[in-house]
Amino acid sequence: MAAVQGGMVDEKEEVDIKTEPQSDGFVNTNATDGRQLSPSPGSSSSAGSSKTAAGAPEDQQTLLAVLQFLRKNKLTESVEILRREAGLPEDALDSKGVDCGAPGSGGSAGGVDGLDAGSLLSRVTVSSSAGTPAPTKAVADDQPDVSVVLSAYSQQGDPALYKVYYSDLKKFIESVLDCHRAELSQVFYPLFVHMYLELVYNNHESEAKAFFQKFSGDQECYYEDDLRVLSSLTKKEHMRGNETLLDFRTSKFVLRISRDSYQLLKRHLQERQNNQIWNIIQEHLYIDIFDGMPRSKSQIDAMSGSLAGEAKREANKAKVYYGLLKEPEIELPLDDEDEEAENEEGKPKKKKPKKDSMGSKSKKQDPNAPSQNRIPLPELKDSDKLDKIMYMKEATKRIRLGPENLPSICFYTFLNAYQGLTAVDFTDDSSLIAGGFADSTVRVWSVTPKKLRKVKSAADLNLIDKESDDVLERIMDEKTASESKVLYGHSGPVYGISFSPDRNYLLSSSEDGTVRLWSLLTFTCLVGYKGHNYPVWDTQFSPYGYYFVSGGHDRVARLWATDHYQPLRIFAGHLADVTCTRFHPNSNYVATGSSDRTIRLWDVLTGNCVRIFTGHKGPIHTLAFSPNGKFLASGATDGRVLLWDIGHGLMVSELKGHTDTIYALRFSRDGEILASGSMDNTVRLWNAAKAFDDLETDDFTAATGHIHLQDNSPELLLGTYMSKSTPVIHLHFTRRNLLLAAGSYAA
Amino acid sequence: MSSPKTLPKDAQVMIQILKDMGITEYEPRVINQMLEFTYRYVTTIIEDAKIYATHAKKSTVDADDIKLAIQCRMDQSFTSPPPRDFLLEVARQKNQTPLPLIKPYCGPRLPPDRYCLTAPNYRLKSIQKKVSSAGRISVPRLSVGAVSSRPTTPTLGTPSAAKAGAPVSLTGQRFTVQIPPSSQTTVSKSTTPSTPAVSNVLINPSLIGSKNILITTNMVSQSAATDSLKRKHEDDDDYDTL
Repeated sequence: MAAVQGGMVDEKEEVDIKTEPQSDGFVNTNATDGRQLSPSPGSSSSAGSSKTAAGAPEDQQTLLAVLQFLRKNKLTESVEILRREAGLPEDALDSKGVDCGAPGSGGSAGGVDGLDAGSLLSRVTVSSSAGTPAPTKAVADDQPDVSVVLSAYSQQGDPALYKVYYSDLKKFIESVLDCHRAELSQVFYPLFVHMYLELVYNNHESEAKAFFQKFSGDQECYYEDDLRVLSSLTKKEHMRGNETLLDFRTSKFVLRISRDSYQLLKRHLQERQNNQIWNIIQEHLYIDIFDGMPRSKSQIDAMSGSLAGEAKREANKAKVYYGLLKEPEIELPLDDEDEEAENEEGKPKKKKPKKDSMGSKSKKQDPNAPSQNRIPLPELKDSDKLDKIMYMKEATKRIRLGPENLPSICFYTFLNAYQGLTAVDFTDDSSLIAGGFADSTVRVWSVTPKKLRKVKSAADLNLIDKESDDVLERIMDEKTASESKVLYGHSGPVYGISFSPDRNYLLSSSEDGTVRLWSLLTFTCLVGYKGHNYPVWDTQFSPYGYYFVSGGHDRVARLWATDHYQPLRIFAGHLADVTCTRFHPNSNYVATGSSDRTIRLWDVLTGNCVRIFTGHKGPIHTLAFSPNGKFLASGATDGRVLLWDIGHGLMVSELKGHTDTIYALRFSRDGEILASGSMDNTVRLWNAAKAFDDLETDDFTAATGHIHLQDNSPELLLGTYMSKSTPVIHLHFTRRNLLLAAGSYAA
Repeated sequence: MSSPKTLPKDAQVMIQILKDMGITEYEPRVINQMLEFTYRYVTTIIEDAKIYATHAKKSTVDADDIKLAIQCRMDQSFTSPPPRDFLLEVARQKNQTPLPLIKPYCGPRLPPDRYCLTAPNYRLKSIQKKVSSAGRISVPRLSVGAVSSRPTTPTLGTPSAAKAGAPVSLTGQRFTVQIPPSSQTTVSKSTTPSTPAVSNVLINPSLIGSKNILITTNMVSQSAATDSLKRKHEDDDDYDTL
């Protein structure tokens, strides 16, 4: 943790109790200053701080603040020693209780006390009127008290001068060399927001408004929505209920700046007398420095836009097992089709040509694949094995797609849904469609001529011959056959739908906060999973069944198993609602897209966030993993599709073309084509194989955390298909690579 | 739709607010909804503030009362999700436990029954508990909810008559075998007609599915056919103790 300024800081280093070196680190520089803060655990060497030159009022304040801090942490002996050596009277302690009202609730594991000391330092070095104490004293640190969090905004300087500080910085950055200017301009937005919020918090309403009016127009266009929300926030009371804003405050906005640019900035700010800006930067920004060429504006624009800045490079360094799990051996009974499917050997003995993608030819473990037992997965039942055999048969008839061979698109339009269609899903073999509606119903249709039937009642089931071959047909009650079935149960619009891979269950998530499991044999509701108390925006079954993930307004995603009434894992970390949740094909990772414009990849085994992808400029509504598990595609309200390499944690491509929110993304079965559907009533097909092949691999080894993106969207676009006026909300490739799309007709 | 000039002032203000917040596309009903919400919210706050003012024995409502009213309402109706650090802490605890192993060959993997929605949501009520003789059919008195306007109802009023008609076959079809501590799904097996004296039996038309049962029982009694298959939900006294 870099120090703030001044010599007396060095003494503070020892006071830093329980500081974690990495978290909330201010400036990630290990080299230059030599003011590196060494984390000294639980040190009571506060005697060191008594070396401060007493007498100056600032030092006095500092001392008292330190005393209060020690006292709060119950280091009574140290308190005594310090007081004695510094010669402070006893009663001076209490009046300064406020200064140590640090934002104690800033993150559980991460550097609470780090923030304490840091903000403490920046606060006590300010010579301004200390007349604006945090209104409520710091309640016990472990209590997440909102006002404690907000108390991060104590007075940083004369409010009227904020404009001056900001304009000074602006002038400086405009005078800087071109190559550095783009990078340093990143600082504007977080600085602006934090300064504005400080003014609001400290009740300087008129200054806040003037500040906003003067500088909000300078910000980047993609922050427009955020700024609009800010503009309606003029009083301190308004800040209270807004969880996203509070999270924004307590988490550090991450900026990635090259070393040269950073040196420039630091030198400039430290020269000045009143470096309030430097204080704010220290407190609220995390500057991730990299060695290399400064980035250009377009590169920065591609990666920025999220609510918390970009992603730190360390956040994307964990190893991710993105390979696929091995397909189990299935002995096919040699029937008339004469097929054999020994995936492990991968050598078909039949005449029909087998696709390479069907099974791995090598017996060796893919180094990038997780082991089979990494997470417990349900074993295959006989019915599953039959399904797999069907799957392989279908796969042989699959059409090979490519730029010359585009898929046909079959559009399922929901008529008379009165714009109430909110979620759609297809089964993997494309035999059933389910639709979730705003009137809280779920409807299931059969796409094939085969009708939907319920299982017979228990009385009837006793009478059938259980040993007959077609017992699975006999258990069905013919009298209940119909084209579609309606499932009632939710008490709010249904926002997420997912079929289980074995076609026995259907999940639906709704605004009423529950996720319901329906049986597709009896067409009744089996379980209601209660955990989110707020609307659940999306849910999905794992590719192997048994697990499912849900994400909602409470900013977390939860992993459930069908036989546990409570979640198994909670993925917390997003700053705003989780709008989209998807499993990786190997079921070991979950990707979540959120309204804070980031995508996070979570490990199911540990619950840790292993990747953070930033770059979208609007809430993310759809995600799709490539069939080989290496890449992730995402679509958001900004109309762009972004492609990410999971292993390296980098953005590899940006597909521009849509003009409205993208609600559906799907890779073809071989990963050759990416289809995207959007509110602008079009389906677009992109050449995914080319986008991934064109990567320059030497870029990946660079530790800068970004690669040079090519602007080749027009070349990658293979086709645009317009519907009359039906926004596309779901896409599905059948097993033979026919593209199905679904939407509701908007007259 | 009326032109903006003839809209009431409140609606014009609401349109302006929507424009300021950047919302450009909305259905016309949205304005009405927003106005209704505003009116309801403001009225509730002011009413609450009045109560606080009278409680403090003040003659007029002042700003403090309003502030207090807003605060109290905020905590009640406009709850926000838990703060981030709380979630992180909860997540940390939850994520520490290893993933449970999956038991093989379990059938449908569902949580324990009390967390499922598979239980019957009705309970049958019987009037007479004694089953004295084999041929006796207890008088199924229909209680609330089971009043049916079906024409077949009156036949039940004469159980003895029906009973007298075909006692053995009738009872045989309608008796159920109780399987105590049975699972939630009721099992009904019909005994063979030749052994009418099955223990623990009562015939009760169910309350909610009553219309179905009513018809079937009556039809059974009328047709005297062996379609006891129609009997779907049977329950008996032991469930009363639940």
